[in-house]
Amino acid sequence: MLKLSGLTVAAAALDVPAQQPADYTIDIAAFDLDVAARRTIKTIAYNRQVPGPLLRLEEGRPVTIDVTNQTGNSEVVHWHGLFLPPAVDGAMEEGTPMIPAGGRARYTFTPRPSGFRWYHTHVFAGKDLHKGQYTGEHGFLRIEPRDNPARYDQEIFLALHDWDGQLLASGDGAMDPAYEVSTINGRVLGFGEPLRVKSGERILLHILNSSPSEVHWIALAGHQFKVVALDGNQVPQPQVVPMLRLAPAERVSALVEMNHPGAWVMGEVRKHIMAAGMGIVVEYAGSRGKPQWDQPNQLTWDYLLFAATGPAPPPQPDTVTIPLVFESKFAGHGAMDHWTINGKSYPETASPALTAGQRYRLAFHNRSNNDHPVHLHRHSFELRNLPGHAEIHGILKDVILLDAGTQVEVEFTADDPGPTLFHCHQQNHMDAGFMMLFHYV
Amino acid sequence: MSKWVCLFALLAALSSATQLRAQGNYEIQVYGADTIEPKSTMIELHSNYTPDGQKSQVDGVYPTNHQLHETLEITQGLTSWSEVGFYVFTSWQNGHGVQWVGDHIRPRVRVPDSWHWPVGVSVSTEVGYQRAVYSRDTWTWEIRPIIDKYMGRWYWAVNPAFERTWHGPDTKQGVGFSPAVKLSYDFNPKVSGGVEYYADYGRLGAFDSLHDQQQQIFLVTDLNVSPKWEINIGVGVGPTANTDHWIIKGILGRHFSWKKPSLLD
Repeated sequence: MLKLSGLTVAAAALDVPAQQPADYTIDIAAFDLDVAARRTIKTIAYNRQVPGPLLRLEEGRPVTIDVTNQTGNSEVVHWHGLFLPPAVDGAMEEGTPMIPAGGRARYTFTPRPSGFRWYHTHVFAGKDLHKGQYTGEHGFLRIEPRDNPARYDQEIFLALHDWDGQLLASGDGAMDPAYEVSTINGRVLGFGEPLRVKSGERILLHILNSSPSEVHWIALAGHQFKVVALDGNQVPQPQVVPMLRLAPAERVSALVEMNHPGAWVMGEVRKHIMAAGMGIVVEYAGSRGKPQWDQPNQLTWDYLLFAATGPAPPPQPDTVTIPLVFESKFAGHGAMDHWTINGKSYPETASPALTAGQRYRLAFHNRSNNDHPVHLHRHSFELRNLPGHAEIHGILKDVILLDAGTQVEVEFTADDPGPTLFHCHQQNHMDAGFMMLFHYV
Repeated sequence: MSKWVCLFALLAALSSATQLRAQGNYEIQVYGADTIEPKSTMIELHSNYTPDGQKSQVDGVYPTNHQLHETLEITQGLTSWSEVGFYVFTSWQNGHGVQWVGDHIRPRVRVPDSWHWPVGVSVSTEVGYQRAVYSRDTWTWEIRPIIDKYMGRWYWAVNPAFERTWHGPDTKQGVGFSPAVKLSYDFNPKVSGGVEYYADYGRLGAFDSLHDQQQQIFLVTDLNVSPKWEINIGVGVGPTANTDHWIIKGILGRHFSWKKPSLLD
């Protein structure tokens, strides 16, 4: 049973007598993040740490989380990847109340499904590249399943993030955010503690790309990744790959066999982002010396690798297809592009009606020159059609990266009534109209 | 040590100068603050024709009327914040044929993006020679601050340039002030249009009378057909007596990158 309880501002909350203590508390407040020895980022964070605290919740067991907003702006916390009622999902557009500046709220919900999820702010940033997802307001959610999908010796959570953005002219003629600092868990390469491992261990990495707008490619020198889950959902075919690609808001869970003792670098494959700091040292017990990095010579990633084997079942005959065309609107060489879905920008975008129990196919057509990590709230979708491939099945996600100029199809079952937000997870795109709201009839 | 030498040279140059004579219309462009990326080169051809200009020879300088100026500009990116440009000036005119006019060199530095300034800022300095039959003053020097900004569909740039003569009749004429300004609007991703203003007010502290100042106003369009190409076309009018009355200008630029394209960089 999912419910919202006492999601109110401080004054009203004071009227609630003898409220039970929450299971968790999150304070949203300004924070000086030392990303390097001589570099401090002034940002906003959860509980004065970046990433925010890891919340380990049990699938199906109700939880209460008190959130206080000590900033000067309204806030809201989105529980990304969970199937929650709109009132607590954490999107104002769906009806979740904002937490006013100086106010607080109590989120009460029953977390599901199990897997690697995350929580983050869901506010408008616009041209302010120190608000919204540009800040350190993100943290890991681990919804514990009854059975773990893989056996491992250590579980490590890593968040990729980009900082100190500014709007600069980009190759497509518009302004886009560009970043000076890139971090893993809030630190640049060489600053902070290494990941300490032992020879023979199996490490389960849970990697989140919390970047406001950047796709990241991650490799671990001397090792490979066995991808076991995407966006927290087990994949039908775990596969060993040399590198991971994560679009904003995507998560990858991967096993690594620690069978190559030494000191190694795990970091961004692209040189300029590694140079901006996105890396972390992985150090075997007893190993010393300079961490080694093997520069890959190409970028490789394909969702298809992880799809179920065998021919995909045909779509259910009553599946309803909803075509969604994404395009940009030029706003000047000195501005960020505006974005449209089927020709309209939010809040003018259409609000397609969903019928509970009905299967839907979303036919994405990205007619722009940009890639888009699109996200559906409160549901998971199944990848069905990727560019250049026959129908696939078995991969469940809540974010998929649409390459520029491509078409992709996903399916989902409308099984969670209520307003359901769909948007590009690139902060500057969703702020500029790339958003729409499904509603149930 | 070297910066003190440079500072001394700058002060010496300014203190010994007393007047300026503007260069001819060989490169008519309001600079933007950005610089060419390292490991890349911009090659531009500036074509300027004067349908209605100075019709008589003055102080041994050929009249500008019906002169076609072709200037080759080669700019090489040095770092993410610096570049150096070279100019080869030529002139064609009935009776004189194609003539080499002179050469200039122009280093430029800009404020790096990491400084997060709200406007683009750079400074260029230009030194060069031009033949006396095309310019009374043969060796000239210029320092040009450049400020610009994109604001949605609008773009503006200001170049308050200071010039002086190192060799020629105006060597002792001091530092002159020659501002240039651009304001343009993006009609769509490919086409921008606007106004460019160029002037030479004369010596700092004792500007020439309006009659003797040089002032030109151009209606221009920039065609942004590709990141590799730069196209600027304009028609200018000189409203003062000391200015060529009509000028047609065009800039065709091509960007060449010497970096091996790689998704890994």
